[in-house]
Amino acid sequence: MENSFSINNLNLFYGDKQALKNISMDISRYEVTAFIGPSGCGKSTLLRCLNRMNDLIPNVRIEGDIVFDQENINKDKIDVVQLRTRVGMVFQKPNPFPMSIYENVVYGLRCQNIKDKNVLNKVCENSLRKAALWDEVKDRLNDNAYGLSGGQQQRLCIARAIAMEPEVILMDEPTSALDPIATAKIEELIQELKKDYTIIIVTHSMHQAARISDKTAFFLMGEVIEMGETRNLFHVPKDKRTEDYITGRFG
Amino acid sequence: MKDINNDSRKPNVFKTYQDLFFKSLFFVSALISSLMIIIIIIFIAQKGISPFLSSYEYGQQNIISFLTGMVWRQDQAIYGVAFIIINTLISGFASLLIAFPISVLTALFVVKIAPKPIGYFIESAIEILASIPSVVYGVFAVGFIVPLIQTLANIFKVQTAGGSSLLAVILLLSIMILPTITSISITAIKAVDIDLEKASYALGASKTQTNFKIVLNSAKSGIFAGAILGLGRAFGEATAVSMVAGNKMFGPTFNLFDITRTMTSTMLAGLKETTGLDYDIRFSVGLVLMGVILISNLLINFVKNNIGKNHA
Amino acid sequence: MRKFNIKDLILDGITYLFSSVSLILLVIIFIFIFQKGFSSLNLELFTSPYWSENYYASIPASNNTYLLKSTLDSNEYYSEKFGIALKDDFNARNEAIVVISYVHPDSPFNELTNSTSGANEGQIITAQEGMIVNKISYINSNGVTRSAGPVIKQMAEDTINTIEKSDQLDSVFLQTQGGGIFGSLIATIMLILISLLISLPIGIMTAIYLNEYAKYNRFTPWIRSSIELLTGVPSIVFGLMGVLVLFPITSVFGASGTSILLGGLTLSIILLPVIIRTTEESLKVVPDSFREASHSLGANHSQTIFKIIIPAALPGILTATILSIGRIIGESAALIYTMGTYISDKPELLKGATSLAVQIWSIMNGDQPNFGLASAISIIILVMVLVMNIGVKVLTRSKVKKW
Repeated sequence: MENSFSINNLNLFYGDKQALKNISMDISRYEVTAFIGPSGCGKSTLLRCLNRMNDLIPNVRIEGDIVFDQENINKDKIDVVQLRTRVGMVFQKPNPFPMSIYENVVYGLRCQNIKDKNVLNKVCENSLRKAALWDEVKDRLNDNAYGLSGGQQQRLCIARAIAMEPEVILMDEPTSALDPIATAKIEELIQELKKDYTIIIVTHSMHQAARISDKTAFFLMGEVIEMGETRNLFHVPKDKRTEDYITGRFG
Repeated sequence: MKDINNDSRKPNVFKTYQDLFFKSLFFVSALISSLMIIIIIIFIAQKGISPFLSSYEYGQQNIISFLTGMVWRQDQAIYGVAFIIINTLISGFASLLIAFPISVLTALFVVKIAPKPIGYFIESAIEILASIPSVVYGVFAVGFIVPLIQTLANIFKVQTAGGSSLLAVILLLSIMILPTITSISITAIKAVDIDLEKASYALGASKTQTNFKIVLNSAKSGIFAGAILGLGRAFGEATAVSMVAGNKMFGPTFNLFDITRTMTSTMLAGLKETTGLDYDIRFSVGLVLMGVILISNLLINFVKNNIGKNHA
Repeated sequence: MRKFNIKDLILDGITYLFSSVSLILLVIIFIFIFQKGFSSLNLELFTSPYWSENYYASIPASNNTYLLKSTLDSNEYYSEKFGIALKDDFNARNEAIVVISYVHPDSPFNELTNSTSGANEGQIITAQEGMIVNKISYINSNGVTRSAGPVIKQMAEDTINTIEKSDQLDSVFLQTQGGGIFGSLIATIMLILISLLISLPIGIMTAIYLNEYAKYNRFTPWIRSSIELLTGVPSIVFGLMGVLVLFPITSVFGASGTSILLGGLTLSIILLPVIIRTTEESLKVVPDSFREASHSLGANHSQTIFKIIIPAALPGILTATILSIGRIIGESAALIYTMGTYISDKPELLKGATSLAVQIWSIMNGDQPNFGLASAISIIILVMVLVMNIGVKVLTRSKVKKW
């Protein structure tokens, strides 16, 4: 199975401070890869590199390669806007637009100048189904998205991302703002989604990582300490620091 | 030490009265401040209606002919305010039409597009424009805009009274309400949640798409509030408008190059040598002005609330 | 797949275009006003009255020659017999006038006796540079009194030549040029004092009530709304209100008709929302820990307010004051109704007068608007307003650093 992303010697600097140190890893397709580690260790920063969202932050300097579909996305020639249609993102706090549910889902399509009502309707239904939200909202697609519960809003954001038919979905702590029931629903959803999409998830809960991911990478102070099959990493960690984190000695 | 212990056991009556006194004082101030608006409305309403009552000392005026009349002549004591209302509406809405897009896009530019120093520069320019008094705008209008229109009229071979015209009023008002709408829009745009922008970018939208589809959309409510305030200013602007309006005796004026008459220019016209009915009728016009501002506010609010509803 | 989004480009282009409008406007307005007004701008503007005064005065006898101590320009014509130099000039209406350009320190023109009947009869007047000469009466060789000057269509050179031929001058008809803003300047200052005296206390106390006493009260939102509504009222309506509601108050003090007092009272109401809003903002910034500390030390509510909170909110109050002064200087419509449009050179509290802004209106509304003067006063107002804007900016920046 080919790799979704190949990262080589990635370094990232916020001004003078180095946030990512020599990251190298491969991310496999149609798998859930989890990034775990204590706060501020660079997991979200690395995630944001994969869809070039760090471009929005001033004073950021990136060195190294990230290969996606045989192209190095860190080279300036890349059409960043187009990259983001292939690599979608779901954020920690659900952030639906102040529009109807329907308009939220088809937003990305409209930006690509797709106007055919039939296409939009079909994509909307498919995405909402895949996000396990269709049954709950099919009769109120025109209602404002803010009327949904937190968990529903997050699933809406997932549907919105799926509507772009990306190859990869990046998830930055997608359930940390949700209650346990909503969290469980989304974890269940992720297991379904990995059949069609590569999923990379940043989570501060290693239990979540243990539950849902196929591969896990442990981050500490901007470096990847260890990465491997989730089962192995959690039961027989190779690095002492990994073991300390997992057993709760710090973090 | 000993004294403090003794005193603290006695309830301090003076301090209690002092507190009560000041609390009442502050309360009365707040009461006065909040009653002002009611006082304004009541008194102007009373004086404005008085010419139409049978007890009016200069002879009862007909309220219907006042409200529907299309002629206003001081010398013949004919007072019809209908065409003046229409003129005011035309000039107000026209200036809003011109100023609104310029203001909103300038605000967007300052907050989201321009590099910080340029944004700060333009924002300062807006603040300075906002603090220029209306008389000075009037002088500018008479000396710059009016001759400009005369030149324009000569080019188009149209008649104009030296340049004082509806067009002059509209241009003047657009310039004057521009800073108002812009600064309120800037505040509204700054308040848009950055998470929404991030979501838009993550879905592959370009910067311009994000700005127009998400940022402006989310700031809608604040921007419309700015438009309402701007329109109210346009209706209520008196000094500068009266210097370029021309004060036509009948109307309404639809010809851009023709002179016009607004409610405020009417209230200021010939104020120096005026008595009796002619003076009192200005209060009636003032009452009508307040009514127009109120109704237009409600109207725009209504429009704003209904734009957001239909989206699919 | 690189898309060429035309719609985006058009939107961007329009955005850039529109954003430059405000800058262009500002530049045009300032250039226009400065261009028209700069030449009329001089220090005498601040100290001279608006209305020109006429003097008909007799010239004392003299028998000396008054030699020139300094050199004069070629367009000035000097009379050694009488120690006075005249030159040609133009007044604000571009009419040709003859103006005194130099008076010798020993010249008899320094001790003219006012012959106009009235209160000032007999007073000694000094002829000054800038005064307009309409007529000089002289006694010719036959002992007959004759006239020289613009009254017989003589300009500076001819006038000087004519009076040089005579041995004795009789009288002179002088006019001060006027067009000054002294009266309006005084009136504006009086206006500022009165309106601030009334609105600052009421406004600050209202803000204190809203923020310190009634923050969570049910009625507070209503009070706030009714104050906010005031900002939407056009200033001309405030003028109407002033005439109706506040005039009875001023007549108690003896005013009959428009007056500075009425203008000040009206303005104080216009200023209320600004003062309340700005003061409240500075009150909100004061940390609650200050209030808690004060109360825990045994101070009651009012002591806390006066000793701790108001001093901490002073920068905000200062900002409110500066903003108010800017508003007062710029206000016109309300003052036209309550203070009148007659330009007074000796403003009195209970009589009508004009502020600087209203003087501009009055000038522009006359039969022949004096653009130069109007623009010159506009420059003065613009500079004042700019200075105040900068003042407020400096204050708010230093205020933020404090906590």
